Amino acid sequence: MTAINSLRFEPYELPGHLELLRKEVRTFLQTECAAFSALYRSNSWDAYDPKFSRKLGERGWLGMTLPRAYGGHERGPLERYVVVEELLAVGAPTGFHWIADRQSGPLLARYGTEAQKKKILPRITAGEVCFCIGMSEPNSGSDLASLRTRADRSDSGWVINGQKIWTSHAHQANYMIALVRTSPIIENRHEGLSQFLIELPTTGVTCRPIKDLTGRAQFNEVFFEDAVIPHEALIGTEGDGWKQVVEELAFERSGPERYLSCYVLLTNLIDTIKDDASAATLKRIGSQIALLVALRNMSLSVAGMLNDGKDPSLQASIVKDVGCSFEQGLPGLAQEIIDLEPTLAEYGIDYQQVLGNLVQLAPSFSLRGGTPEILRGIIARGLGLR
Amino acid sequence: MSELRNILEESVARIFDDLITSEFLTSVEETGWSQDLWDTIQELGITQVLVDEARGGMNGSWTDAYVVVRRCGYSCVPLPVPEAILAGWLAKCASIELPLGVAGVIAQTLPSTNVVDNTLIGQVGHVPWGRNADYYVAITSNRELIVATRENVEISREENLGHDPCDTISFNRTPVLYQASIFLPSDGIRWLCALLRSAQIAGASSRCLEIAIKYVGEREQFGRTLSRFQAIQHQLAIMAESLATIEAMTATAFRKMDTCGIVENDRDAKFEIAAAKCRASDAVESITSIGHQVHGAIGFTYEYGYHFLTRRLWAWRAQFGGSGEWAEYLGRVATTKGGDNIWHYIAS
Repeated sequence: MTAINSLRFEPYELPGHLELLRKEVRTFLQTECAAFSALYRSNSWDAYDPKFSRKLGERGWLGMTLPRAYGGHERGPLERYVVVEELLAVGAPTGFHWIADRQSGPLLARYGTEAQKKKILPRITAGEVCFCIGMSEPNSGSDLASLRTRADRSDSGWVINGQKIWTSHAHQANYMIALVRTSPIIENRHEGLSQFLIELPTTGVTCRPIKDLTGRAQFNEVFFEDAVIPHEALIGTEGDGWKQVVEELAFERSGPERYLSCYVLLTNLIDTIKDDASAATLKRIGSQIALLVALRNMSLSVAGMLNDGKDPSLQASIVKDVGCSFEQGLPGLAQEIIDLEPTLAEYGIDYQQVLGNLVQLAPSFSLRGGTPEILRGIIARGLGLR
Repeated sequence: MSELRNILEESVARIFDDLITSEFLTSVEETGWSQDLWDTIQELGITQVLVDEARGGMNGSWTDAYVVVRRCGYSCVPLPVPEAILAGWLAKCASIELPLGVAGVIAQTLPSTNVVDNTLIGQVGHVPWGRNADYYVAITSNRELIVATRENVEISREENLGHDPCDTISFNRTPVLYQASIFLPSDGIRWLCALLRSAQIAGASSRCLEIAIKYVGEREQFGRTLSRFQAIQHQLAIMAESLATIEAMTATAFRKMDTCGIVENDRDAKFEIAAAKCRASDAVESITSIGHQVHGAIGFTYEYGYHFLTRRLWAWRAQFGGSGEWAEYLGRVATTKGGDNIWHYIAS
């Protein structure tokens, strides 16, 4: 049965020469992250730090896979993989450049116009620009194809009307890549969608940050009221937006960020109980370590498949769903092992602060990039059940 | 996957699928041993996968051995084939030639004081197919590989939940055929037996999922097949996820055996082996519970035969260290290394 064989996740070992790169990144991070508090590190791929992103750009660790002609480094996806996992393992602040480096850069390199590539890719590589993704809408979450924001062609450009929501970093981003409807639904809802590159801020586009349960405002409502953007802002082919977005999501599903969001909590937990862990506690932690190592090897296997030009969408969905339950489970486990109050207040030790932060953030992990319900549907389809 | 490995897996699969049916497994549960199947497997040479070509083996890697052992789990092979593969490798490591026949592989470390005047004394437990063995293989606390005959042995017959023999053997001045130093930890056999069981768990779990998918595609309730219900789809998706974690971790551990082996140093395959057995044992719960649940009562019957897999899974998850023991090992590595260093250890 081929579907079941595709669950075998052939081991993929990173080529030996990448260990040099890994060492370089580790040495850099040891110095650059020394001053960051444990609490700050626990925000990892959400922490917005333009200065830090620029430093990574200077080192050549952003836009690594982009073409040289546009300022990129033409290094392989596996080299990027090594850099990203090292960044996440120490909880380096990657939020400013995250979306640009992971998906907007590769998307533009593939589908962008010459002018878009010339103008923007060098800036992504330098760590100078922050991107956001305009996909979800008030009535279109998991059912993305039902979105209603639309762009109408006029003499002066595309006129956009509608609303996006849950857009991370929109209020401080330089660009949004938005998926909108460019022709009405006739038969297939997946047709008539297009992607646009929207420079922010722009007249007619208003961002309103939404306070989340932690009290911070990282995501936004974004309103489009007759916002006019140039004809050249179209990315790729008009009407091909759905196909382009599906490809873009593949970059999103299986990377190390899928199981390392709570990694800083795990290390703090280990260091806090270190000297007096009972056998029962060691077992609980060890069982999670086994799952972590399994996940890393699954994620590497998918990276290897992507590198070999295969389509691992089933495997990527599995990595995301398993990774998500793993990282979402860590705060609860930590709380059971060390019965200290989670807090963001100064009086808390590092462990309490990290727990205080992550226990609140954890519910969001399964909401971004495909919910478990959607992922399990994809897996079931992969198994031939639907 | 390499071409050679594909061919190996396909030929093993063909033989096992042909011969090891539910009826066959039922009959072996009564008779206890199938000499015919053992002979066929010997002729095929698959127990020699890790043995040098010069000695009539395939000179394969652990990664090659993985596909065979995995398939043993998939087909519930009621014979000590994984153990025979391991015995062949141990003999290669110690540069000795094994006697003909069935190897009784002893996982526990033998105190070196149990070897007296070229004979073996003392008692060992949990020897798979100990009663059927023609000779026994063990490692002493002095890191010597011992091969003993089956003379002067007393066998206390025991079996695991899968009805596979798992005997206690008492040696009473049993002649030692070979005593040769071996570059493995004194508990090396136990580590490798745990690795073998992980692979069998991977194989049996994948079969459990395969049968469950087939069943829900056929069984109808409320006017449609079970596979059309989202609740069932999601259960099987979770089962597939559990299987994926077993497969990935176990395949990685076998691969690590090829690159690093197990030796007494800081970064060998032990970490991955422990992670593989821990993960595989942990995941058995979700595989067997979902697998049985979607089958309803039919899966609980003897006749349907799902139990050949699930009873073995319940036995294997505990054999040679369950999730708890290996997790404790991993937890100790983590706390000893400390939070900052454990990542360096994992990603190295």
